[in-house]
Amino acid sequence: MKKLSTRWGSAFGCLVIGAGMMASASASELTVWCWDPDFNVPAMQDAAARYTKLHPDVKITVNNIAQNDIKQKLQTQLLANVTDGLPDIVLIQDDNAQRFLQGFPAAFEPLSDAIDLKKFAPYKVAAATYNGKSYSVPFDSGVTGLFYRSDYLAAAGYKPADLQDITWDQLIKIGKDVKAKTGHDFFDLDFNEAGLVRAMMQSAGKWFFTADGQLDIIDNAPLKAALETYSKLWKADIVKPVSGWSAYTGAFTSGDVAAVASGAWMTGTIKGSPDQSGKWGVAPLPKLDGIEGATHYSNWGGSSWYVFSSSKQKTTATDFLNTVWAGDIDFYQGILINQGAVGSLLAAREGAAYKASDPFFGGAPVWENFSNWLGQIPSVDYGTFTQEVNSAIQAQLPSIAKGGSVDEALKAINDRVSQQIQ
Amino acid sequence: MRRRHVCPCGGTKSMRSKIAHGEQINGWLFVMPALALLGIFLVYPILWSLWISLQVGKGSNLHFGGFANILRLFGDKVFLHALTNTCVFFVVQVPIMILLALVFAVMLNDAKLWGRGIFRTAIFLPCVTSLVAYSALFRSMFESDGVVNNGLMALHLIAEPIQWLTDPFWAKVMIILAITWRWTGYNMIFYLAALQNIDQSIYEAARIDGIPARARFFRLTIPLLKPVILFTSIISTIGTLQLFDEVNNITQGGPGDATLTLSLYIYNLTFQFMPSFGYSATVSYVIVVLVAILSFLQFLIARDKK
Repeated sequence: MKKLSTRWGSAFGCLVIGAGMMASASASELTVWCWDPDFNVPAMQDAAARYTKLHPDVKITVNNIAQNDIKQKLQTQLLANVTDGLPDIVLIQDDNAQRFLQGFPAAFEPLSDAIDLKKFAPYKVAAATYNGKSYSVPFDSGVTGLFYRSDYLAAAGYKPADLQDITWDQLIKIGKDVKAKTGHDFFDLDFNEAGLVRAMMQSAGKWFFTADGQLDIIDNAPLKAALETYSKLWKADIVKPVSGWSAYTGAFTSGDVAAVASGAWMTGTIKGSPDQSGKWGVAPLPKLDGIEGATHYSNWGGSSWYVFSSSKQKTTATDFLNTVWAGDIDFYQGILINQGAVGSLLAAREGAAYKASDPFFGGAPVWENFSNWLGQIPSVDYGTFTQEVNSAIQAQLPSIAKGGSVDEALKAINDRVSQQIQ
Repeated sequence: MRRRHVCPCGGTKSMRSKIAHGEQINGWLFVMPALALLGIFLVYPILWSLWISLQVGKGSNLHFGGFANILRLFGDKVFLHALTNTCVFFVVQVPIMILLALVFAVMLNDAKLWGRGIFRTAIFLPCVTSLVAYSALFRSMFESDGVVNNGLMALHLIAEPIQWLTDPFWAKVMIILAITWRWTGYNMIFYLAALQNIDQSIYEAARIDGIPARARFFRLTIPLLKPVILFTSIISTIGTLQLFDEVNNITQGGPGDATLTLSLYIYNLTFQFMPSFGYSATVSYVIVVLVAILSFLQFLIARDKK
């Protein structure tokens, strides 16, 4: 009798577990990690709502976690080989992607077979390609623009047309005039952020590495020109030094400085001050002086969605990304209007919202401009050690700003990084 | 925990040893849970990190590298830079803070001082604030158009704002100001406790002998507080060597690595850069070795000449 009862017990147990498994198979739950409650999080929530409307049995939870915390959690968990508690989908910034893909080769699910990635801007797909497979569904583009206060420029006698097709040297001259006329600095810069230098360099189609992954610093003409331009900006005395993100954004949203060069995602922050509507304009990035292949188009930031190979709901997760993020053009119009998110799905550019003009930017067709520039961004390979080089550049920025030698800085960056990446 | 030789129960020798044996076992059983926890959460991680510090490789592709990480230390300029910064912080900050804490303690120990409870609380209060919260506050206070600069300008002490956060020199000064504000009260409490243990008759005798206040401070108070001064300087040194929260939250090690500390560098190696766990474990052992050497030196200097 005793034996029988245990046998019955285990049979019953199997039944319960089986039923449980079936239940979880029919009603699947997806968890997503991403940062920025004004940008990525609402965009993902919108995407989730669209998918659950089609598939009411799928529940998608979007967790707002700071980018640094996501990086930390991934790094510790993947290293410890613990996949419990990892989400199904995670957002990773493009210049960080290779570090994860190469450091933890089996952790992410290749998506290039399941999803047609040709539909996206090629430079975004390249950033997440490793060993011939691409691992992400590209999200926002960090297509750069020069956001400026048109009223300050008008006070110094400049029209929007004067910012088209110019070089950095010409921009510095404009900046000096603006400061002389209005008393406002032109830019504000943080020594802990080398994004401007990276954006200038990429606009000429270069990154920190050669095609075969070797460090390329000393003879990197665009990088040298970018650092020299950085030095000139400070020398012209048109830069307000700031420290930290809130001080950085505060300087231009409060009207303290006249302009900011940044990714398209900065639009949301700038439009956060509705009282400045009509006083802003967007121009393409100036060109680097005297550099072959220099363009007006570059990238700053931008990130993409990754699926963990440990996820129990891989298929659902992939289908979700494929249905909404790689197919729903209407969805991209919504996040463009609401979050200012310029997606990298090329077909989205045909939507109505991209054609609309924005009264905040004086009625200019900013989105159409951004998406036109997006297609012309030189594609570069971000490599594995971008963070290292970036940190080495940051270490040199204060001395460059004080007028120190750019050649010495390049040498110091090169020495430091070659020591670090061994 | 040696048992007394004379057992009050007065049993035979074998009985005594049996009881002793039983008590030994019981004793070990009682400390076993604590020992097991210590073993799992303290000894094991220490040994494991020692093992990791001998590994090289990126991310999860670790393999044994012997002393490669230690050799890497010597060529690593960033490490040397972080080490120099850390040393500057404790060489400048610890003596200032110890002296301030001592002066505050002696002043607040004066029974005639009005409202000393309020002052004690005020000076100790910074220690109960969260590190991140006070860092965020200091950061906003020391911005170029923050409260500090505006205050100094209003008093006409400075002509133009000091770039606390963006100038390498002033950033260091600012971090030192911040940690001094946060930790002086903490050290003061130790001195206050020690001062209350000093017999007042010693001071009375000194006063009757006509010894001036300053000499009483240097010749009586400081020598009598020597063990506590030693203790506080050791814990402050260790604390400064591990400095992380303030620099991470106020300056992020910047501008241009001017406030990069060893702990922040370890964090960067682990979480910001391509993860290099072996090397970051090696750098953490540098802190361990430094703490050991400095504590030993401080003991040696303060040893009683007997």
